[in-house]
Amino acid sequence: MGKLSALAFEGMTTVTLSEHVEEIEKLFREHNRALIAFLQCRLNSHSDAQEVAQDAYLRMLTLENREDVESLRSYLFRIAGNLAIDRLRKRKVRGDFVAVQSQDEPMGEESPVHHAIAVEQVAGLRKALSELPPKTSQAFVLHVIEGRDFGSIAQTMNLSERMVRYHVTNALAHCRALVDEQETP
Amino acid sequence: MAKSKQDPILHAAADWWVRLRAPDAEGETIEQWLAWTGEDQRHLEAFERVNQLASQFGSLDSVTRQGLIKAFGRTVMPQRRWMPLAAAASFVAVMLGGAYITWVWFNHVNIEVYHSAIAQNRDITLPDGTQVALGAASTMTTHFSRGQRQIDLTSGEAFFTVVHDNSRPFVVGAGDISVRDIGTAFDVRRTGDRVTIAVTQGRVQVSNISEKPGASQGGTLGVTAGQLVSYDPNTSAMSMGSMTAEQATGWQDHRLEFVDEPLSVVIANLNRYSPQPVHIADTDLDKLTYTGLIRTDAIDSWLDALPKLYPLRVDTHGNQVILSDEQPATHR
Repeated sequence: MGKLSALAFEGMTTVTLSEHVEEIEKLFREHNRALIAFLQCRLNSHSDAQEVAQDAYLRMLTLENREDVESLRSYLFRIAGNLAIDRLRKRKVRGDFVAVQSQDEPMGEESPVHHAIAVEQVAGLRKALSELPPKTSQAFVLHVIEGRDFGSIAQTMNLSERMVRYHVTNALAHCRALVDEQETP
Repeated sequence: MAKSKQDPILHAAADWWVRLRAPDAEGETIEQWLAWTGEDQRHLEAFERVNQLASQFGSLDSVTRQGLIKAFGRTVMPQRRWMPLAAAASFVAVMLGGAYITWVWFNHVNIEVYHSAIAQNRDITLPDGTQVALGAASTMTTHFSRGQRQIDLTSGEAFFTVVHDNSRPFVVGAGDISVRDIGTAFDVRRTGDRVTIAVTQGRVQVSNISEKPGASQGGTLGVTAGQLVSYDPNTSAMSMGSMTAEQATGWQDHRLEFVDEPLSVVIANLNRYSPQPVHIADTDLDKLTYTGLIRTDAIDSWLDALPKLYPLRVDTHGNQVILSDEQPATHR
């Protein structure tokens, strides 16, 4: 947080500065892990989640109307959520959904070992998907791999959005459990 | 699928992941999610594992992605095995379709978790219009389906003003105890497995659901306005008393009222409102009982007065308040 404090000094000159920095540092200590998890869920990328979180803290530090904010934690998550939406929008505009995501955990070219693990992982994921009812795996693949939102999947599959969510939830829990099983023989 | 059903935390984590994905999920949903992650460290861990899996799927190279989309992302044609039976069977088909939709509808349960922080009461309006005043440091889960409204009070206290609906019973579960509304307002307080129910309006049915069916008819009690039922998990006994509406809902106005309750129960409830946790160091103090009022905005003065009421000492160690036997430790 040293870096964050330094940034705040540039932007703020009030007497309560150190108090405010302390508040933000406390927020960071207590909720950073949850914030990163929240952002990774929205962005599907750990590195993007970290970048956006950094940005969100910066905005918290340079917050002007501290007294108007009832709960700093809620405010932090709201700012972070909005920044995540902006980022998703930019991805769409640039049409590089695939490119941005594959920066996260680069696979393939680096080394033969890396490549072998990736192939094995893909086989595991494929096996997990094949065990699911067709609609469950379809909803999941359209959402998580093709990156489509629940509404558009609901239209394609002629289901309610609620059912699409239900399928995606089941697929996630199932694949996670199966991959865990494969990783701990 | 069996495997994922075996791990409710993982399933809950997947459910939260899907809910948080929606860009319009904010405010209340995020607060609820944070409360859930705060309940048990395994919750956030499971959520992170779901995240990791989803990111893994999302970061596959484009050839693999296309392969998976081709294999699983295609539109599934609706199964129409009954079609060869042709028009004569269409009536049956409509019936089957109707039955299926009804089944999905009946089985669909909407689950929400509500949580409050220490010293913070919360007012909640449930989707059916029922008003809930949730006491401090309390957690409840609502399971709403078309035919049932089930609430689980996991810990703490809640006051319910129920919108009655004959076709959709409203049932509050608290450990071994189940409270069924018959047009009512009532308070449920859970301290571990000890439960008290105070009815301020109308009538409820209180059952001990841990009792074997048919074992005795004493398992279900009708409780009306002004009555108080206490359930003691050690003896599995329910005892009746009386309590005014003002006493039962006093906690919403900084007043905790106790009638002949063990000191341990009083302290556990006090701790839901106290910024400084209070501990009972000597177990024989648990046997003391307390009747009276505690103001949650003046907990310190109540603690200060405690040695005048009971043979005990009140000490502050760091951020904790310790209640112990009157004699200094060296005498024992």
